Amino acid sequence: MTAAPILELRDVTRRFGGLRAVKNVSLTMNEGEILFIIGPNGAGKTTVFNLISGFLHPNEGIILFQNQDISRMPPHRSARLGIGRTFQIVKPLRGLTVLQNVMLGAFMHTRNLQKAVEESKKILDFLQMSHLSKFLASGLPLAALKRLEIARALATKPKLVLLDEVVSGLTTSEALALAALIKRLPEWGVSVVGGVEHVMQVVMKIADRVIVLDYGAKIAEGVPADVVKMPEVIEAYLGPKFRELTQ
Amino acid sequence: MVRFLQACIDGLLTGALYALIGMGLALIFGVMRIVNFAHGAFMMAGMYATYVLFDYFRLNPYWGFLPAGACLFIFGYLCYLLLIRPVRNRSDFMQILMTIGIGLILTDGAQLIFKADYRQTNIALVNRSVHLGPFGANAAEVVSFVIALIFVMGLHLFVVKSRTGQALRAISQNREVAPLMGINLVRIQGFSFALGIALAGVAGGLLLPRLYLFPGVGEDYTTKAFVMVVLGGMGSIEGAALGGLVLGITESLTSLYAGNEWALIVDFIIFLLVLSFKPSGIFGSQRA
Amino acid sequence: MSLIKNWKFWALVIAALIWARMPWFVSNNYQLQVLFRITLFAALGLAWDLVGGYAGQLSLGHAAFFGVGAYGLALFTQLSIPVWISLFLAAVVATLVAAVIGIISFRLRGPYFALATIAFGEVLRLVATNLNVTGGAIGLTMPSLFTGRTFWRQFYLASVALVVLAFLINFLVSRSRFGYYLMAIREDEDTASAVGINTPRCKLQSLLLSAFITALGGALYASAFQFIVPDSVLTLDISIQVSIIAMLGGAGTLLGPIIGSALLLGSQEVFKNQFQESHLLIYGVLIVIVVLFMPEGIVGGLQQLFRKRAKSPSASAQPATSGAAQ
Repeated sequence: MTAAPILELRDVTRRFGGLRAVKNVSLTMNEGEILFIIGPNGAGKTTVFNLISGFLHPNEGIILFQNQDISRMPPHRSARLGIGRTFQIVKPLRGLTVLQNVMLGAFMHTRNLQKAVEESKKILDFLQMSHLSKFLASGLPLAALKRLEIARALATKPKLVLLDEVVSGLTTSEALALAALIKRLPEWGVSVVGGVEHVMQVVMKIADRVIVLDYGAKIAEGVPADVVKMPEVIEAYLGPKFRELTQ
Repeated sequence: MVRFLQACIDGLLTGALYALIGMGLALIFGVMRIVNFAHGAFMMAGMYATYVLFDYFRLNPYWGFLPAGACLFIFGYLCYLLLIRPVRNRSDFMQILMTIGIGLILTDGAQLIFKADYRQTNIALVNRSVHLGPFGANAAEVVSFVIALIFVMGLHLFVVKSRTGQALRAISQNREVAPLMGINLVRIQGFSFALGIALAGVAGGLLLPRLYLFPGVGEDYTTKAFVMVVLGGMGSIEGAALGGLVLGITESLTSLYAGNEWALIVDFIIFLLVLSFKPSGIFGSQRA
Repeated sequence: MSLIKNWKFWALVIAALIWARMPWFVSNNYQLQVLFRITLFAALGLAWDLVGGYAGQLSLGHAAFFGVGAYGLALFTQLSIPVWISLFLAAVVATLVAAVIGIISFRLRGPYFALATIAFGEVLRLVATNLNVTGGAIGLTMPSLFTGRTFWRQFYLASVALVVLAFLINFLVSRSRFGYYLMAIREDEDTASAVGINTPRCKLQSLLLSAFITALGGALYASAFQFIVPDSVLTLDISIQVSIIAMLGGAGTLLGPIIGSALLLGSQEVFKNQFQESHLLIYGVLIVIVVLFMPEGIVGGLQQLFRKRAKSPSASAQPATSGAAQ
């Protein structure tokens, strides 16, 4: 009844040496969704993001984006197909201004400097960052840098954007403000996959669905309200003792 | 066949000295992630130091290398404090340039002080040889081989067994965590740099009787050191030592079959081949 | 953007015209030769800057392209090809060499890349020293691109033409998407990939462009001095000199390499006696000073100064930051 899912992972496994960072993970995601991948530190969220965006390739399993196999694609090609991403540890282009940073994203769809400037200004407006356009990225505080990451990704006009730990390190009010913006992304035709370690108000507020990873494997899936109460999830975060609390 | 094996033996003997140089570079890279383009220049400094001791105090280089090495240790530490440490957070680009600058200063400084003349030490030991069956070796080479081997093994034991050595390995695995374990990063990094330089100096002192000494003598050795470190896997001290032996033998065989001039070219070619196909080194670890 | 109304444009045009007229202010051929070298190395610095300054890839093997340009001119002319066509062909060959070097070296990051470029440069030098066709260590005689009594003046004008060309190229690149892509690669290659930049291909393109200009410079230089040996056109010395010129003046800026060349080669002339014996020492000290105190070079440092004064971020954007990433 629905169109093909925008993103699909089928039994994806990724190993580093002897360690399986991602174990047989499968997930499906539809267009216009906001999906959050949560899990304790080391659960494999960032690895999943790297796999989807092409910075890593799966050892087993395949990854489909809009029904196209992107398992072996290099990162710049996944980006051109429409997958944008931010990095857990922000990677701004420090020697360039905020505007120039975003322009790099805009350049994916135009060669013209003027057009890139215009597109970038629009995005900066949306993210309420216009007043920062001329400042060097190196001088910005974390909250602004997080927004800059998103701005740059959005400028590439992605169909899917991967936001890795996008609210970590922010104060609650900063995080909620950012979350409100993220909630509006599907209006722009952008589906969102977010990754956070902690289930916070942010996730509860904006996620349509949540997937929980622990030690590389998917242990739960569902709407936020349900997932938070699942015993496996509580155990993953707090340890086996707390599982009893839910019995 | 005999000539082949003889060349291998010669290569092995030289290779131990190369190993010292390579291990020094690997130590510096492993602990500090700095590519020391001045490594050969420091070796040259060690050679001159040993030479001065020989010229003025009649100290045999096979003893003189020790004080020379000690001097270079101190000198290396000073370089670290004044020149390397201030730029440790800059980009790789900048750090490489800094070491290049240091190398240029050392080389030309030596030329200013000692002039460009070729010098030579004449020691009795160089003229004697040792024989075993159909194979012969220069007595001096054997002596330096033994000394070098002692240092190589000493360094290995030090890195594996001692507390400082373990701190060194901790840092080369993960720089950020080290301070949390109570390791004084500056002192340890300064120590490793100094030690790496000192090893180059020792190797220089040991090579002095066998080479002509002139300010530019170290340049080729920087290259050789890089080849060894790349062969052995960047950061692996043991790998660099093995790389040194391999390099020594390869050069020796190349000299035998193709002539001396090609030896250096072969070094570069090995270097490029390894970098192209197996950047983590032939003996290498995953750290790259 | 109306270029004609821009005062900077006219300032540059006038500067270029004056520069071209320099020979008329100068009294003898030796001084002309000095001007020739300064101008030529300014062009080389600009060319290097594409790779080293904009793309941020520390190439220490540019002597390879310089030398291939020189040897190419000599060898093609030996095949009875007209000089100016040989010049072009030599540059093309250098670009092909750059393709090989680039494809192999750009797969390596950071220090490995620099090492690989040094290795390639040295291999070429050693090969040229050992092969007969390149004259071995004895070298080759170069064909003269210009002859006659005013040949230095003509060489000088050719070098001005080259530096104008190099400047134009850098200018156009810096204003283009390609230039932005290179800068993104310089700042962070992962981020660059994440916005769809094919980083290996862009890096390669910058190297090819850079190699072409450098080779033209090499051929011009060699022809002016009429005789080449591997140690005059293929040494690490040249590679380092070109990189210092760009870095000292300001990598990634348009005027930087020009100022760097004027400064470096100019002071070499002024302090000729000291420099002759210890020019490497001066280089070394210069490098150390630049790295320690002004990593952006002269022009870059000035730019930063103006930027800091004109636009200090407001309090809302910068609460207690720990300072610029440097």
